[in-house]
Amino acid sequence: MLQLERVREEKQLMRQSNTLRPYLNAVRATLTAALTLENFSSQVVERHNKPEIEAAASPEVLLHPLTVSRNESERVLIEPSVNSIRLSIAIKQADEIEKILCKKFTRFMMMRAEGFVILRRKPIAGYDISFLITNFHAESMLKHKLVDFIIQFMEDVDKEISEMKLSLNARARIVAESYLSTFA
Amino acid sequence: MILLESHNTIIQDVLTDRFERPSRADIQFVDYDNVRFHLSTQEAKTVLLLSMSIQCWPDLAKYGAREHLQEVYGSLLLGEGETEPEYQVSIRIDLEALPEGPEDRAELISKLSHLKSTTMSAPFLAAFSEQSSLQANFKDAAGAQQSDLGGQGGEKKGDLKIIKYREEEAIFIQASHDRVTVIFSTVFKEETDRVYGRVFLQEFVDARRLQSLQSAPQVQYSNREPPLEIRHLPGLKNGEDWGYVTFILSPRHFSNPATAQSAINRIQLFRDYLHYHIKCSKAYMHSRMRHRVAEFLKVLNRAKPEVAVAERKTASGRTFRTR
Amino acid sequence: MSRQAPLVIDNGTGYTKMGFAGNSEPSFVFPTVIATHQTAGAGGGGRAPPPVAGKPSHLASKRGIEDLDFYIGDEAVVNSKTYDLHYPIKHGQIENWDHMERFWEQSIFKYLRAEPEDHYVLLTEPPLNPPENRENTAEIMFESFNVQGLYIAVQAVLALAASWTSSKVAERTLTGVVIDSGDGVTHTIPVAEGYVIGSSIKHVPIAGRDITSFVQQLLRDRGDSASIPPEDSMRVAEKIKEDYTYVCQDIVKEFKKYDADPYKYFARFSGEHSVTGRKYDIDVGYERFLAPEIFFNPEIYSSDFLTPLPEVVDTVIQTSPIDVRRGLYKNIVLSGGSTMFKDFGKRLQRDVKNIVDGRIAGSETRSGSLMKSSGVEVNVISHKRQRYAVWYGGSLMASTPEFFNVSHSRVDYEEYGPSLVRRFSVFGSSS
Repeated sequence: MLQLERVREEKQLMRQSNTLRPYLNAVRATLTAALTLENFSSQVVERHNKPEIEAAASPEVLLHPLTVSRNESERVLIEPSVNSIRLSIAIKQADEIEKILCKKFTRFMMMRAEGFVILRRKPIAGYDISFLITNFHAESMLKHKLVDFIIQFMEDVDKEISEMKLSLNARARIVAESYLSTFA
Repeated sequence: MILLESHNTIIQDVLTDRFERPSRADIQFVDYDNVRFHLSTQEAKTVLLLSMSIQCWPDLAKYGAREHLQEVYGSLLLGEGETEPEYQVSIRIDLEALPEGPEDRAELISKLSHLKSTTMSAPFLAAFSEQSSLQANFKDAAGAQQSDLGGQGGEKKGDLKIIKYREEEAIFIQASHDRVTVIFSTVFKEETDRVYGRVFLQEFVDARRLQSLQSAPQVQYSNREPPLEIRHLPGLKNGEDWGYVTFILSPRHFSNPATAQSAINRIQLFRDYLHYHIKCSKAYMHSRMRHRVAEFLKVLNRAKPEVAVAERKTASGRTFRTR
Repeated sequence: MSRQAPLVIDNGTGYTKMGFAGNSEPSFVFPTVIATHQTAGAGGGGRAPPPVAGKPSHLASKRGIEDLDFYIGDEAVVNSKTYDLHYPIKHGQIENWDHMERFWEQSIFKYLRAEPEDHYVLLTEPPLNPPENRENTAEIMFESFNVQGLYIAVQAVLALAASWTSSKVAERTLTGVVIDSGDGVTHTIPVAEGYVIGSSIKHVPIAGRDITSFVQQLLRDRGDSASIPPEDSMRVAEKIKEDYTYVCQDIVKEFKKYDADPYKYFARFSGEHSVTGRKYDIDVGYERFLAPEIFFNPEIYSSDFLTPLPEVVDTVIQTSPIDVRRGLYKNIVLSGGSTMFKDFGKRLQRDVKNIVDGRIAGSETRSGSLMKSSGVEVNVISHKRQRYAVWYGGSLMASTPEFFNVSHSRVDYEEYGPSLVRRFSVFGSSS
């Protein structure tokens, strides 16, 4: 049974990677293009400098948001503006278990947003996790590495969630078996 | 630790210590499922009083718990009149009248530390004996029954025993001629627990397909809807958060007293076992997530260029200290 | 239904004390250590990753539940041959959350046998614990264990609360200096109305372990240790420390007293070889009063830390805000095993009083004897529950009905999340 499951698993992975590549490439290209940020003082409040995409106070500095979508459950929303860009990811959630694991994981990560300077503490509605990159981040960090991070994150998070699901099932099986085997 | 132990560690530890060196005690502690213990020395240093309060005592008493305790603990058990107030069972241990040999003492300690599970066994044992009498009758009446099967509406059953062992959850036990059915109603207070719980329970159902577990009791699990055996009972909850787990014990699971007792000890801890493992899994997920988050952080930190910290000096050659 | 007794868990660097509220002693006291199995392929070295993560293949996860194969406390020590020992708490603060989470898991389910969903939990934290640590703790307690409610108390405050059992304490105040001396380090912590004055905390690097090794050293110097088997020498020293030592009031007089009539004061210790069972006797001499003396005259033991404890206490109080100093002098509370020496409190009180009186006299003369001080009251409080003072204080607080009001409940957690525990509510003061 285990054997069978594994084969199925691998097949699924293969199918995934077929469409995963172009999806990630599209995100990478869009994000790299969008990451052209410059310092921009607030037009509304004097001597303030706010991420315009969050402040949304002056519509003329916002650019068209863009969605890269692999299927209806997996998509990325990129909202660029003159000095900041917001990137939100909807993570694949096939069933109840993945949904809860995904919720747990993103929550766990957002709890530690302090360390991840570009992580937003709350996702925007309809997405699971959001990042906010400002011109200051883009200036102090290497741009291509930032993009690498986002891509790596997208890749690993799916893998991690499905691995977590597998291990939950495995645990459950062992737990059930060891309980039942004590009945002589 | 995969399986939970059936004895109470505190009782065991304290008694082992006090059997050697009698001294004053006044300890209150608990066990799973709203059981409270009080171990005290009220008369003298050498007389220990172990009292237990158990939420479902009225149910248990109905099914002969006191008689069963009497049988196991004999003269140690205090009568209802002498029981400590607020508690339902009291046991008096005179440290000056202990058995001599170390093995006998160890056995007494083990017996006392199983106080909760012994009390909880009463309804199970009652169901087991009902089953065997039903089985005997069934054989006798096998021929006769076939004729009036329609009138009986199926096979004969023992009475349904209900033990409300927690605030909202209950155990239902019913004997019939070839098996004893134990049903747990279970509730999950939290979304995560519910999802994890469902995964676990599904595995309990599936596990029996394994060759090596063919002899284990059959497990059924129904979500939302109570199973047929208890559907007629009033006040049963059904909703997303509720589940019903059915264990079907066949006679070989309680054929002799030792296996029966171990089956009882195991099965009464089922809920705790399940919840323990749900919690362990959550803890495990936490450590995975910690690891993964640390990995992500490493990736992100690669984006930060390494800034060479050049030492800055003033004209006179002194250095700044940056905080 | 009556509420179930809250769990009181005091995780210290060396020992974990845990039990149920309302009791006078913890039900379990064992080392804060966890023994985990060396997972094959992890290859040791550094922080072991969780069994599965990091592996390239997802197959590893099928192996299952190695993370349940571990022991804690005394059992961990017993199994140290086949397992790796880890100490999840360093310097009072939790370092390894993976291990700590599992440590709690087994503490609760195997030892306390409590379903955490039915209980409130009181945990302790060292002074100056970063709020992130509290948040992590809350996250574990509420999300993994679904506890009903949680209160994280500062150890020093609990030690103050524990001192209320002493007959010397007239009013129940949460102002005072706590001298907490365990195995590794001694802290002096000033607390004003339940809040720790962080900037004035001082640490003394002399504690239980140092006293033991000082006793060991004295025995060796005298040549008595010849009869002690070397592998037992630590244990013997510890035993002598626990059973025979006391604090003297005047070290010179004490020496004279011993020399005048050695037979009256020398004690004999009889031991047994732990392996061969051979019996031996040794004399216990000056170390009876010299051992705890290192708190008061550290120069006899160490060459790099030379400030006597009374002076440290005085400095701590002098660096605290001026309006609480009187309250601090009035309430110096002892906590922890290494403050259990006979007459320790008496000596400390006398020495601190001397320092204070000296200072007052000095300022009186400087004022040209025009001003007269009304004097400062100095009180050192020792009590019966000193050894597990922190735990006892926790047990005391958690058994008041008020506890349930100040604890952070499950409902609150669901509303606010882990940042909830950043809010700190003191309770138990006389108001």
